[in-house]
Amino acid sequence: MSRVLDVRDLGVDFGSTSRSGLRGLNFGVDGSDCLAVLGASGSGKSSLLRTLAGLQVAAGGSVRVKGRDVTALPPEQRSIVYLHQEPVLFPHHTVEDNVAFPQVVRGVSAITAKQRALEWLSRLQVAELHGRKADALSGGQRHRVALARALCAEPEVLLLDEPLASLDPATRRDVREALQAVRHASGAAMVLVTHDLDDALAIATHILTLGGEGQTALATPDELLRHPPSLEVARLLGVYSEIAGVVRVHGSVSVFDWIGGSVQTDGMTSGAAIACVRASEVDVVPGDERNAPVLTVTERRNGAHESVLTVRNAEGASASVRVGSSVVADAGTQVQLVLRHARLHSIR
Amino acid sequence: MTRATSAIRAAVVLLLLVVVLAPLGILIVTSLSRAWFYPAVLPAALDHSAWSDLIFDPAHRAALLNSLVLGATTAVVATTLALPLGRSAALSTRLVRRSVALLAFTAVALPPVALGAGLQLTVLTLGLGGTITGVFLSHLVPALGYLTLVFLGVFTRWDLRLEETAATLGATGVARWRLVLLPLLRRPIVEALALGFLVSWAQVALTLLVGGGAVRTLPLDVLAMLQSGQDQRAAAGALALAIPALVVLGASRVAARQTAAVVA
Repeated sequence: MSRVLDVRDLGVDFGSTSRSGLRGLNFGVDGSDCLAVLGASGSGKSSLLRTLAGLQVAAGGSVRVKGRDVTALPPEQRSIVYLHQEPVLFPHHTVEDNVAFPQVVRGVSAITAKQRALEWLSRLQVAELHGRKADALSGGQRHRVALARALCAEPEVLLLDEPLASLDPATRRDVREALQAVRHASGAAMVLVTHDLDDALAIATHILTLGGEGQTALATPDELLRHPPSLEVARLLGVYSEIAGVVRVHGSVSVFDWIGGSVQTDGMTSGAAIACVRASEVDVVPGDERNAPVLTVTERRNGAHESVLTVRNAEGASASVRVGSSVVADAGTQVQLVLRHARLHSIR
Repeated sequence: MTRATSAIRAAVVLLLLVVVLAPLGILIVTSLSRAWFYPAVLPAALDHSAWSDLIFDPAHRAALLNSLVLGATTAVVATTLALPLGRSAALSTRLVRRSVALLAFTAVALPPVALGAGLQLTVLTLGLGGTITGVFLSHLVPALGYLTLVFLGVFTRWDLRLEETAATLGATGVARWRLVLLPLLRRPIVEALALGFLVSWAQVALTLLVGGGAVRTLPLDVLAMLQSGQDQRAAAGALALAIPALVVLGASRVAARQTAAVVA
């Protein structure tokens, strides 16, 4: 059976910039699944969504919706709804008329269109706003109304362009919950552009990463976090310490040596490497309890969920390592760091 | 605010009222009095014959009708052309935008006599000299210039995401115009229609040069009456000329209230 959204060898131009754009994109999304597109600023995330929506012309390749090739069709014939980062509501309409809009343009009677609008407003828990004008809504309400309107169009594919960016924490939580509900309720294939891994993990079933001139990874969130395929992707995910060291191969065993000790690895060749390690994979041991070099904490930077320790060994070499925020290790203390797991990437 | 500032503000408002309303008041009284000479403060007797002439005299009525037809046609045609022209220019490259703005501004800024001389030759070449069609075409040029500048400004600030949103929600091009663009553009369209009408309504030089005296309009009649010393009738005609401007002002305010604030 064909996937709801099937993208083959798609080329995406970067609008007005002189850069060439993305090439050779291949991915698919099933109904009720959500693909999060992660990428640095300017990596072409929004251009990709605009191309899928038909708001800009594809530079090659194909976009299929339930097996139907929509690459050359105008936006209104694709059954793909695109939601801008800031919800765009029609200011001359009430909330109810905004949500009924996709039914009205389809020729559905006004009464039926309004009934369906109210149903979606109820499902998004904003039915009480139906008579208000768009400019009388809060940020979270605008997002919910825009989502209700998008779903009232009964799309096969829903494209969300950084819907959680620039929202305060409470509104962000509210909209995130709404998106989770929408994913399950609508049955549409969703593509969510974000630069925030937490958002992707909360909503997405798969993650596509963009970098350079194409896609750099496509995997489930768990797979991607366990095994980022490259250092570039690991950096994009933004949850790893990057610890420099050297891989030494002794017969069938390879070992990664860094200033804090050694970690046994496999499948690596000798040479310089970077170990990507999450905060939860680092044990911090005070003093010299273990058979490992003792390191001095020279700096500690605290974050909400984790801290970054800068440590130095007796020879003066240093490294920065993410650890849990509850770890007790202030500047000046001596610690030993044990890496329970490390993803190694060779440096050529 | 100090007492002195309040006094200055009141004085300025009063001065403005006098400057605007005094000529209007004098015109009203003059149009209703057969003879009103210095040093009489008010006319000896009221007389509405000038207004009756303006409405019932066939020659004046034809001039009034010409002015109305020319104004309405110019307004509708210029708005219909300027809206898509201003929109496509605003959404185009900077070079195109500036070129269109320059052309539009030239049509507006050229002295009417210079513009009229050029248009007269063009209209004569087309065989439309001395016809109402030729006069209409000549009125269209400055009106199109003004209105293109209006719509260029409107669409430079236009939020294209509204149309994109409507498109991905299933609205065809026609539906987008009918359900999104036109309702949101109600105010600028009403203002453009009004401005287009007024540009044509007040034209003297172009009408005279291109119409060659064969096409009579209300402003030409008022001018002729003034030159021949028919003060009472000239005053009535001048007031009739002012009425559309006041109506337009009112209509614009109503449209402004009914229009969403997207296109400010």
